[in-house]
Amino acid sequence: MDKSSDSSTPRGEGWVWFTGLGLIIGLGMVIGLLSLVVMNGVTVFWAPKVPVALVDDGRTIIGQLAQRRIRAGSPADHPRYELQYQVGLRELNGNSYLWVDEAKIKSESFPADVLGLERVENGPAFVRPLSLRKSDGKLIAITDSAFEPAFQAEVAAASAVREKLVEITRHRIGDVNEEMDKARVALRRAEDLKLAAEIADRRRQIAGLEVRFASLQAEAKKVVEGGAVASLVSKDAAGREVVVPLTQVIRAWFPNRLDTWGRVQLFFSRLGEFIFDEPREANTEGGLMPAIFGTLVMTVFMSLMVTPFGVITAIYLREYAQNGPVLRIVRISVNNLAGVPSIVFGVFGLGFFVYVLGGSIDQLFFADQLKYNNNTPVFGTGGLLWCSLTLALMTLPVVIVATEEALAAVPRGMREASLATGASKWQTIRDILLPASAPGILTGVILAMARGAGEVAPLMLVGVVKLAPTLPFDGSAPFLHMDRKFMHLGFHVYDLGFQSPDSDAARPMVFATTLLLIVLVVCLNIGAIWIRNRLRARFKGASF
Amino acid sequence: MDMSDKKPAPAPAPESRFTVSPMTLAADRWMGRLIRIGGVGVVLAVFGMLAFLIYQVFPLFTGAKVAPVGALSVPAAAVAFGEDEYGDFPFVVQSDGKVIFQRAKDGSKLLEWSPTLGDRRVTAVRSYPRSGLVFFGLSDGSVQEIRIAYRSTFDAAGKRAVEPSVTALEPIAIGKPGLPCVDVWNAKGAQSRLLLVRQESAGKPLLTAVRLTERKGLGGKAKVTVSAPFVVAAEVNSVEQVLLPSTAESLIIVGKSGEVRTYADDGTAFTFLQSFVPFKDSKDTAVASSGLIFGNVSVVFVSRAGEQQVWSMYPQLQPDGKSLRRWGKIHDGEVLAGAGEGVYAAEGNKCYIAVAGGKLQLRNMTTGTLRWEGDAPAGTIRQVAFAGNYDRFTALSADGKLHRWSIVDHHPESSWDAFFGKIWYEGASGPDYTWQSSAGSDEFEAKYSLIPLLYGTAKGTIFALLFALPIALTAAIYVSQFLRPEYRNVVKPVMEIMASLPSVVLGFLAGLWLAPLVDPRLISLFCAVGILAPAALFAGFLWSVLPQPVRRQVKPGMEFLWLLPFLALCAYFAWQAGPAVEAAFFTVKDTASGLPIADFREWWRQTTGETYDSRNSLVVGFVMGFAVIPIVFTIAEDSLSNVPNSLISGSLALGASRWQTVWSVVVPTAISGIVSGVMIGFGRAIGETMIVVMATGNTAVMEANPFSGMRTLSANIAVELPEAAAGHTHYRALFLGACCLFLLTFVINTLAEILRQRLRERYKVV
Repeated sequence: MDKSSDSSTPRGEGWVWFTGLGLIIGLGMVIGLLSLVVMNGVTVFWAPKVPVALVDDGRTIIGQLAQRRIRAGSPADHPRYELQYQVGLRELNGNSYLWVDEAKIKSESFPADVLGLERVENGPAFVRPLSLRKSDGKLIAITDSAFEPAFQAEVAAASAVREKLVEITRHRIGDVNEEMDKARVALRRAEDLKLAAEIADRRRQIAGLEVRFASLQAEAKKVVEGGAVASLVSKDAAGREVVVPLTQVIRAWFPNRLDTWGRVQLFFSRLGEFIFDEPREANTEGGLMPAIFGTLVMTVFMSLMVTPFGVITAIYLREYAQNGPVLRIVRISVNNLAGVPSIVFGVFGLGFFVYVLGGSIDQLFFADQLKYNNNTPVFGTGGLLWCSLTLALMTLPVVIVATEEALAAVPRGMREASLATGASKWQTIRDILLPASAPGILTGVILAMARGAGEVAPLMLVGVVKLAPTLPFDGSAPFLHMDRKFMHLGFHVYDLGFQSPDSDAARPMVFATTLLLIVLVVCLNIGAIWIRNRLRARFKGASF
Repeated sequence: MDMSDKKPAPAPAPESRFTVSPMTLAADRWMGRLIRIGGVGVVLAVFGMLAFLIYQVFPLFTGAKVAPVGALSVPAAAVAFGEDEYGDFPFVVQSDGKVIFQRAKDGSKLLEWSPTLGDRRVTAVRSYPRSGLVFFGLSDGSVQEIRIAYRSTFDAAGKRAVEPSVTALEPIAIGKPGLPCVDVWNAKGAQSRLLLVRQESAGKPLLTAVRLTERKGLGGKAKVTVSAPFVVAAEVNSVEQVLLPSTAESLIIVGKSGEVRTYADDGTAFTFLQSFVPFKDSKDTAVASSGLIFGNVSVVFVSRAGEQQVWSMYPQLQPDGKSLRRWGKIHDGEVLAGAGEGVYAAEGNKCYIAVAGGKLQLRNMTTGTLRWEGDAPAGTIRQVAFAGNYDRFTALSADGKLHRWSIVDHHPESSWDAFFGKIWYEGASGPDYTWQSSAGSDEFEAKYSLIPLLYGTAKGTIFALLFALPIALTAAIYVSQFLRPEYRNVVKPVMEIMASLPSVVLGFLAGLWLAPLVDPRLISLFCAVGILAPAALFAGFLWSVLPQPVRRQVKPGMEFLWLLPFLALCAYFAWQAGPAVEAAFFTVKDTASGLPIADFREWWRQTTGETYDSRNSLVVGFVMGFAVIPIVFTIAEDSLSNVPNSLISGSLALGASRWQTVWSVVVPTAISGIVSGVMIGFGRAIGETMIVVMATGNTAVMEANPFSGMRTLSANIAVELPEAAAGHTHYRALFLGACCLFLLTFVINTLAEILRQRLRERYKVV
């Protein structure tokens, strides 16, 4: 191309444009990925219109459109598409999702009476209601103008009952069970050591707990039987009658009747549930509260551990250690630790923290627990403490390097002025160097947190689970349970995406979780970048 | 700290304001110490990590620890022995059939039992120590089964006492009546039990067998039916050794001149399978000793010169083209010190004891390694038996001693070759690198070769770099040299955000979103990607031939904005043309319908014979790009933009165009920084875990095929370590994988760091 251009043409312009291509692809990848996640994540909470579709073979489908894809085996030059509808009513249809050949759909309509129901069990349902059987036994037909207010009131009443039931069965009975377990271990110990007084005590305690357990169960039963048993009579796409007790209903909406404001309200209601509630139905529905909480607690602990050690090491390397080949080697090694794969830290965490350290702690402090509770380890198994420690070790180089750079960036003049006024070395570090490099250290810590929050591979080895029965933080002493396993957003994505038995049902949830995780990590990173830029601006002018 | 030394402390200062407060000095001293301790501690902890990994791996490469735990004097006439589960109460069987139980602790006698046989005598004895069964071959050709049982009783104080008991069953007539039995064997097949006796009839060996079928009667009592005796391998003229696997599926007869004849038993009859001479190339072809290895599909043969061979059953191509399971040699073992005197297999793993030339050798059949070697006790070894959990073995010698050894060998199946070498495993048709850590049965030979995993790691890394490097490096050149600075301040943080994307998110999108999406439109994608580079070059060319006024519309550093719509348009058309291209070049006959279809996947399968997975290396390479591109970009961009301005100005002043300056001045100057960025990207790709776990099939295959998956070291650890039992060979093998990853990345990163430091020095000179 150079030959054909006239003499004023700069040579190699094609290549300049070619390098521009690299930038375009790189930026396109980031922006494309982020927008993909945002689009898919946000639409999870949005309620679209729900069609009633007539298919060639005489079937009727009421369902929310979930996906569209090329049919397997259709020719590449004339692709045929198929649509996936979320039809719900798993107990009747066997599967919540349905693939239909797009060409076979005769007609689609959006009747106003289609009702969407989110239910406690068996996933959602899309039905056409006929009548409401109120708790007092009265029937109200859909055509009645009193239907909708009555329906909303009954749903609210039923959900109050359900919450009461959850309170009893999950929390109060759960507490009793936990106490019972502890008492049984103590009883076994007492029996083994032949402590007659304690045996009697423990037996009495267990008997008392059993009484409490029975009374709670009775109470729960009373709530179930005595509460409102209003139900909704409706028909499904095939015309079958479906009776849904309203205690099963979490949320109900008329997707084809809602105005935009209604949809927005529904959107935020679902988003709120997603963030503040606990998961249901094998994690495919409900919220992410335990995973968000677990991620946060783990990240905070990790940074609590990594910050002091990282900063002390950096101060040592920069201010105390003798300059020379040894220091150079140490510095290179610490730098390179940042490049060691995270899974290696997981392996180390499992081998050293869990089995060696945790095993020894159990031997020393929980020998009784091991002996009388079927060898159930306390710290000798994966848990919050070991996860935080593993990730702290993994992110240590990030903090060390950031702190060292920040210390090095403090102008010489400041240090010398401090020493010249008679301040001791420690005073100089405490009063001059650390405050001046604080933003740099903070940047490092935030970057470490971002890395820790998004990391999954090592956590899979040292204590993350798909469903933790209890949070690592609760009302029973010692309040913070570092030995407990916990849930984590990143692992949640992995587990829902790849281990879920119903991958279609899990799909929206994975996208939403992905979005949340990315928002968390990207926010942390943007924060770090912002602080760093401010720091640069500050030191640009600083010279003595 | 050194500052405090300079203070003129000794002079008594009249004004206290000139003296340093002791609190300050103490604080300084203590904080100094604390920081030193903390700093050194953290640095040591970092190195301790590697030390711990190596420490965990180390036991894999140590041999077995075997120690004699004393010998028990038994009657010299003892020809066989057996013991209880703990080896506390062994028994010996004399040649006349007398069974004597002794305490292992002090040798005191516990029980003596003699058979009551009338006018018959015991002429052959065989003991199966693990199952507590002893068989007597009698002088009239019949066989008597003796059952040994140990009953544990606990007295009031909770002390355990063991009471052995001996039950003799009614003799069964098997052999030719009137001829004494020379030897007797027992094996429990799937349906029936097999009893085999050997007799000598007119100088010719005679092998006769019966089948015992046990059927549960109505009352729960077992009823045993004995089949009519039948002659086995009537055609053999000499029998030196007979190997009857405990599953009774086959029979191996070793003849005098070293000819081995094998038979297969289908439960009704023994059919001749094949014959071979293991040592046919040696001077002395005779087989001195042989033994079946645990699992019953491999046999160790030792010649008189001490040569060892392992033969096993595996599928072999027959002359008629069929593949049948036949015996073949799989290992040539090390030559032993002398003629083989016996081969005794361990229970539960593939180790065996070989007795030869006055030595006892504990060897592993799979890897061929010597686990331990020791002096054999005086006197011919009559029988050796391992304990069920492989923690001790016992040998009976002809001089009336029961010698006992303890074994500490946690990783009998490991060796350097097991992890990095090609090994011919049982049932395989040739030596291979295989990773297969677990299977359903105990008899399974664990396969821990790291080579397929290293191969998978290399494959994933190469695909990732193939995709990421061109993008990252061209972007780095453009951003550092051509892009307007105000855009640079936006682009760099965006790239940093790309680096922070959690890999689990990338893996999920690759596996669940991208792979199924790309699958049917692969050719469209290839077209769209393929058109981009020529299109960009063409755009640049087009711009450079345009007249000056038009050219000036594109400000320098803004090319990419003009490029964007043009490239988008090109890519769109190429994408749309994809199906037509596919129809033109990749039409094949559909195997199901016989109609021609345009499908690249089918075309690939049919043309190359390779597999096509939707979760394949290309998808992994693309998504791993998200992880690698920002790292390479950041480092390369840094080193490119740090090239001293004087060099660039000089080049431009001499009349070079901006591309000529970049290509011949900037890039060569910064090359070591670029290389270091590439190496760090390489290190990141090697260790990437979640993307590979989620976006590949995780099968440990060694194929260069870009449309198949792989299993990398890191994915392997993530998938298998949660299930591995701590301290087990599998667990340590995974630690070895982690060690490899650690060292690989550490070495690569160190090299990169050294390169970068060299670059810094070069800039200083310039």
